[in-house]
Amino acid sequence: MATISLSGIAKSFGDTRVLNTIDLDVEDGEFLTLVGPSGCGKSTLLRIIAGLEAPSGGGVDIGGRDVTAVRPADRNLAMVFQSYALYPHLTVAENMMTPLKLRDLSFWERFPILGPVLARGKHRALRDQVDETAGVLKIDPLLDRKPGQLSGGQRQRAALGRAMVRKPVAFLMDEPLSNLDAALRVHMRAELAELHRALGTTFIYVTHDQAEALTMSDRMAVMMHGDILQLDNPRRVYGDPADLRVAEFVGSPKINVLPGDADSDGRLSFLGLPVKRRIAGSHGGISIGIRPEHLRLSGAGEGALSGIVRHVEHLGSDIFLHVDIADGAHRLVARATPAEAERISIADPVNVAQVDGAAMAFAAEGHRLRFSEFGAASRETPQMDKAVA
Amino acid sequence: MVRSHAHIWFVAPAIFLMIVILLVPIGIAAVLSFTDYSLGNPGAEWVGLQNYERIFTRSTYEKMFIATFTYVGVVVPLTVGLGLGAALLIHSLNRFSDIYKTIYFLPVMAALLAMAIVWEFALHPTIGIVNSTLAQGCGTFLENWNWYARSCERTFPLWLTDKDYAIWTVAFIGVWQGFGFNMVLYLAGLTSIPRELYHAAEMDGARSAWDRFKLVTWPMLGPTTVFVVTISCIRSFQVFDTVEAFYPQGGGPSKSVYVMMFAIYEKAIQQNLMGIGAAITIIFLGFVMMLTLLQRWLVERRVHYA
Amino acid sequence: MTAMTHVRPLPRMEGTFRFSTTETIKHAVLILGAVIVLIPFYVMVSYSMKSPSEIMTNTGGLFGAQELFRDDFCVKLGNAAEDCMVRPLIYNYTTAFEKAPLLLYLLNGVIVTLSIFAIQIVVALPCAYALAKLRWWGREAVFALVLFCLLIPVHAIALPLYIMLSKVGLTNTYAALIIPWTISVFGIFLMRQFFMTVPDDLIDAARMDGMSEYSIIWNVMLPTAIPALLAFGIFSVVAHWNDYFWPRIVITGNRDLFTPPLGLREFKGDADGDNFGPMMATATIIVTPLIVAFLLAQRRFIEGITLTGMK
Repeated sequence: MATISLSGIAKSFGDTRVLNTIDLDVEDGEFLTLVGPSGCGKSTLLRIIAGLEAPSGGGVDIGGRDVTAVRPADRNLAMVFQSYALYPHLTVAENMMTPLKLRDLSFWERFPILGPVLARGKHRALRDQVDETAGVLKIDPLLDRKPGQLSGGQRQRAALGRAMVRKPVAFLMDEPLSNLDAALRVHMRAELAELHRALGTTFIYVTHDQAEALTMSDRMAVMMHGDILQLDNPRRVYGDPADLRVAEFVGSPKINVLPGDADSDGRLSFLGLPVKRRIAGSHGGISIGIRPEHLRLSGAGEGALSGIVRHVEHLGSDIFLHVDIADGAHRLVARATPAEAERISIADPVNVAQVDGAAMAFAAEGHRLRFSEFGAASRETPQMDKAVA
Repeated sequence: MVRSHAHIWFVAPAIFLMIVILLVPIGIAAVLSFTDYSLGNPGAEWVGLQNYERIFTRSTYEKMFIATFTYVGVVVPLTVGLGLGAALLIHSLNRFSDIYKTIYFLPVMAALLAMAIVWEFALHPTIGIVNSTLAQGCGTFLENWNWYARSCERTFPLWLTDKDYAIWTVAFIGVWQGFGFNMVLYLAGLTSIPRELYHAAEMDGARSAWDRFKLVTWPMLGPTTVFVVTISCIRSFQVFDTVEAFYPQGGGPSKSVYVMMFAIYEKAIQQNLMGIGAAITIIFLGFVMMLTLLQRWLVERRVHYA
Repeated sequence: MTAMTHVRPLPRMEGTFRFSTTETIKHAVLILGAVIVLIPFYVMVSYSMKSPSEIMTNTGGLFGAQELFRDDFCVKLGNAAEDCMVRPLIYNYTTAFEKAPLLLYLLNGVIVTLSIFAIQIVVALPCAYALAKLRWWGREAVFALVLFCLLIPVHAIALPLYIMLSKVGLTNTYAALIIPWTISVFGIFLMRQFFMTVPDDLIDAARMDGMSEYSIIWNVMLPTAIPALLAFGIFSVVAHWNDYFWPRIVITGNRDLFTPPLGLREFKGDADGDNFGPMMATATIIVTPLIVAFLLAQRRFIEGITLTGMK
């Protein structure tokens, strides 16, 4: 029972506008990722949800209650910070105990020495809660250590523990994995996703790493320049981006973007190659986006672009070829299988063809151009294509 | 790397000076403290522990210890407390914080001797600005305060020459001069506290400013506090300028402001009693070194946040 | 907007100005403190501009009325009373310079503080470099010596130093004012810590270019250490310009060697009531150079003075 909804959230720092009227509904138990390049406003948005930042306009609503004017401590949210923000002078157990003490004990029960004596039972109960959470996160052996004695990964767990221990309505995470090394980061991705499933609590997760967003979230909101460009599940965001900037941001290696043309009937082509799709209306400055996996090596001939291999990126399971086409005016990245790549070396001429129907068209302003009369377009005859060429 | 002897030329002057200027004098003072040496005399008698015995039995030196420790005991807590208070207030301001910082730091920059002379003048019983300002408060609500009413009837205190007030007045000037320094150190400490810790505290439910202070600010200022307390102790142990300016002879009314540095100066330089001066020097050094060692121990004991 | 004000901003969260009671109370407390801090500066500057009668009666506001008054000393010298009428401001400041060789004292202050700083650098910099970047037998021992010497305040051992200087006949000389401060253990320590952060690659590159260790110090390390040196310089100059204890001990008779604080002290020693004005003028002149420098480069000064915080 903890949907979080934002309506018309705007934020400016002085004259700089950081967020433009954001509306967002987070469902109960959802893992929602706010992803975007640095400076897109994602962290600010998270801090507005937390209450650490006051919005310049709009409102925050948690579980049906307007909390715009409620201070962070009373929103019952937990936050995991990028730097973990553990109290360096307290042990892990004391760190985890802090939110419990501050919420559940009165001023006198929190008083040093006197408190534990007065309310021994309560202190015991809190300690049990800490132990339980530590057990879930497998950090029991670390409870008596101070943050300075922990490795990055252990600190990360301790910070998670401090957030989990009091069972908040939602977890807010601000790039929690960015301080870990690459291998641990990949490992923690899976662990966080599992933790989310086990807890069933809402997670709102901020990251600049599109891979984290793709791998962990139920839904991801791609943000740029203070706007949410697209909010959808990872599969759709990747496969069906609503905006050229989304298409370029999500996916690695990056999508190939080439200048395209549309004739008066809306038939699309790029670099003289037909896309075999049509768009409604006429547009100038169209861009065509094709993901590397939708380009394949082919024989010379129709429908293929010829170019020269300039670089081979070997990732083990996949091999990406960087191919200069049109005398180096454009560079394409195409995926090849190891078997195909074996025969290819740098400076070899190759031909690259597109997988039919995979190209996407974007208007000059960046938004996606949907294809019209899909069926008709696929039935276009070779003659017509030639005419276009 | 090719063996080079460059380092000898680099460190030799420093080592030589350290030994001659810092270590040898300690040895000399230690030796002289067992004699009745005075400058100009051909020789000196070995008197054993007599100098030390005097220091710990004569009432003059009892007054010296009382004055020194009273001064340190007043100045250290107040400069540290006011320094912290001012730093917290200034740090929490939205604007104008730089102006206060500048003003509070001015006394640190000004020559203490010059300011002591000005204070002496400001505290002058008849023409001083302090008492004339206080006198204007007579007849107002301030008279509810017994001390104030009595002072209005008679006169306001002779701050520097009344033995009941002298040490406190000198200590006040020490506080006036020193707290800005501590404030700046605390401000540096405050700006180095990661802001995320405050945000974490807020998320954890630290609602009141006091909770946040207790949970984050005070523990994070721990190393600063250790340093500030030590440096304040050492500085106030060394107080001399004000005392010499106010009381060139004798150390104030009934020797109530007879601090150690002044005692060394008076005994050794003015009265040419080098033996006793050396003994006070050794005791003084003992205090100061103990303090610094205590500080180092406290700092090293702490586990730092990587 | 009304709803927002309930969100208690964390320290320094909001840049925009809003009236708030707590903010006002803080300012009230801080202003009260500022007034107390500024009292002696006010007294000093104000009285340096007032006539004796204004000082005695506590009138004249900040600047004094600047009415002409009769200079009794001038009359005593046999001049006509009307020739001896002077403006208080001009009288106070000219008397400050005439009664004592104040310019000489200021010059002495400059000579002493700058020589101390220069020698401290010449001694400390090579030593710090050797401790930080060269490997040699006995390095740890020398560093331990440095750490031990940090414990010793020079003022505390003034007495044996004075005896040593008088034995070699150096009291009442510039040398006496300078020698005890030529070794700044703190400077060595500070520079060593700073040099530790300079990458070895930089020094190795200089060696590859054929520089001697000596020229590495002055041509490579010195330039990189400028900010730290500047801070240390401010620390050193402020300490020695304002120092009173040590000059008081070693300069006993020779007025030509007085530093500014000694000169002021001497002035006070033979001051009668009439001379409060010139005395405050002298104090103002002595205090002003550092205060003005401080106001011009506050951040650097605060950095420099609080350097000791790095210990």
